[in-house]
Amino acid sequence: MRIAELLEKRRQGWVELENMCDALQRSNYPFHKKGNLVSRFSALYRAACTDLSMADQYQLPPTTVEYLHRLVGRAHSQLYRSRQFPFRKWIYYMSVVAPQSIFRDICVKVAFVVFFGLFTLSALLAWSEGNFPGFAERVLGSEQIEQMEQSFDKPLAGNFDRYVTMSGYYIKHNTSIGLQCFALGPLILPSLCALGYNGVVLGASFGYMTRSDVEQGDVFFQFVTAHGVFELTAIALSAAAGLRLGVGLFATGGLKRLESFRLNAERALPIIMTSVMLFFMAAFTEGFLSPSSLPYIVKASFAVFSSGLLMYYFVVLGYPRPEIDEILEESEDNPWRKIGIEYAAR
Amino acid sequence: MNAQSAIDLTAVITTPENIQFEYRIAGPFRRLPALLLDFAIRVICFLVAFVLLLIVGLSIPFSGSIATMLFLIFWFAIDWFYGLVFESSWNGQTPGKYLTKIRVISIDGRPINGYQATVRNFLRLADFAPMVSLEMFFEDAPAVYMVPTFLVSLICMSITSRFQRLGDIAAGTMVVVNERAWVPNNVKLEDPRIASLSEHIPANFRMSSTLAKVIALYAERRTRIPTARRAELASHLARPLLKQFQFRDDTSPDLLLCALYYREFVTKDAFVDTRVQSLPSPLKREAPVPSSDDSPVQAPISNSLPPILNPSTTESTATANPIPLDRQVL
Repeated sequence: MRIAELLEKRRQGWVELENMCDALQRSNYPFHKKGNLVSRFSALYRAACTDLSMADQYQLPPTTVEYLHRLVGRAHSQLYRSRQFPFRKWIYYMSVVAPQSIFRDICVKVAFVVFFGLFTLSALLAWSEGNFPGFAERVLGSEQIEQMEQSFDKPLAGNFDRYVTMSGYYIKHNTSIGLQCFALGPLILPSLCALGYNGVVLGASFGYMTRSDVEQGDVFFQFVTAHGVFELTAIALSAAAGLRLGVGLFATGGLKRLESFRLNAERALPIIMTSVMLFFMAAFTEGFLSPSSLPYIVKASFAVFSSGLLMYYFVVLGYPRPEIDEILEESEDNPWRKIGIEYAAR
Repeated sequence: MNAQSAIDLTAVITTPENIQFEYRIAGPFRRLPALLLDFAIRVICFLVAFVLLLIVGLSIPFSGSIATMLFLIFWFAIDWFYGLVFESSWNGQTPGKYLTKIRVISIDGRPINGYQATVRNFLRLADFAPMVSLEMFFEDAPAVYMVPTFLVSLICMSITSRFQRLGDIAAGTMVVVNERAWVPNNVKLEDPRIASLSEHIPANFRMSSTLAKVIALYAERRTRIPTARRAELASHLARPLLKQFQFRDDTSPDLLLCALYYREFVTKDAFVDTRVQSLPSPLKREAPVPSSDDSPVQAPISNSLPPILNPSTTESTATANPIPLDRQVL
């Protein structure tokens, strides 16, 4: 058979496949509900695939081969479309995969030790004015201390309008900072610096406010107690996620460097998702509960409650158990599954 | 398809059907317009939301604070979740990518999933690094680091084989060109002498597949080459063939290659034209033949001749062939 004849025979199928691709790209086209169209599409796709694989044998002209490559590529990306996040999968991911992978992640532990270590150290230094005079003033700057004292001068009494506005602001501002901390993870230093900076500055503020000669301390703790647990954990987690990304670049564990980076990004994902969730919860607490004039005992019990919640999430749900391990080993979502054939093949 | 044609701009995908095909990878210059378009769309969304919520907040009493909160949350969402939402629901395309006809896919050819979309969009900030302050350009601008230089992504793209930015490497994705394929019909053999010359090529001459490929490439590109260059290019291949076929030395090399293309790729059924008068034989011992394209004795070239391999000429044969495609045997 001459090539031109062959091309003529096939061309109609190709054009039809192309038109179907066009139709599929229009998202409102109810294609997936029509079985016969789908089977026609896959038949045409298979035919085009066969044509492409036979192109060498039949000596098709190079432009036709190029055309076929594009056509098959187009049809391929329509046939195997991206899957959306089903809600049930999200629940499973956040309640099973995320705590498990956070619990076993050494980077989370390191970030927590660094953050809360620096926080405590800085708080102690700022608190003991007698032993370390001027520490808080040097870390925070006297201007900022004045500003802080001013903002906690009056007892807390917000109104609804302010609560709503401020919670929106906290969501935008704080979560953005957390996500930035994560995004700069591959460059390692910015992420670590942000973590250390936050630990030292927040610790110094807490320490300074604990001093007995600072009158605004009471109001300060009225404000920060409720949301502190969520917020501080979220800060540490976002930096841990960034750290996990950066570590993937040099601790490759026998993989190719780029492949290890990719795998560690997958491992960082549950951490940053949890962090975003915590930032949201912190923002709403900070917006509504913290500035309210409710008695301190309510806020303190909320802090205890939220600590318990986090303990449950990270320790009870996260503690490795054989039956969960078995499920996770099967699960495609688990980034810590054993590196098997899939990775060895690449 | 294999190591022989390993050009930088293609990625080979092996499908579940065990077929290999190539994707053209989009480079930085293809992706920058998409980025700018997406940025423009985001700015427009931002402004629209601002105006809408401003109107709502001012007109309905006591809704000002809620409008402000919604606006702030919307701002946050559009900053961080724009790409994620579109890429996971639009099959790897954002509006900007849709307009510039590129698409994000996994490096193994599968569509991207939600995790990949999340990772590659969250890491965008690292790709923009290092940020430069506006202060460097204007004296009185605030010292905020906000102008992206894209250095990280450019370096990443230049050292990876698939033009991946940092986020792409982390997510295991790449950006490919998703253009509508064009119909490969740019071969124009309008010169009527081609058909007749091809008849004089010895019937026992069989082309190797590499020669066929070279000739096809030449025929597809010759219209873009000036006449003098055509002769120069074609003569390398044509001179030994002229000797082999015992044609006159002054036969146009361009014409000979076209005739070979015609003989190899075009059937006579597909190119019937009664107006073509048969030329005198180009064999040396017979009558002379026009020697080059632009010679004054050139046969009249009819513009109304249908281009070869044109779909319009093939429809009749195609419709007369109602066998289901997957049953057809090549």
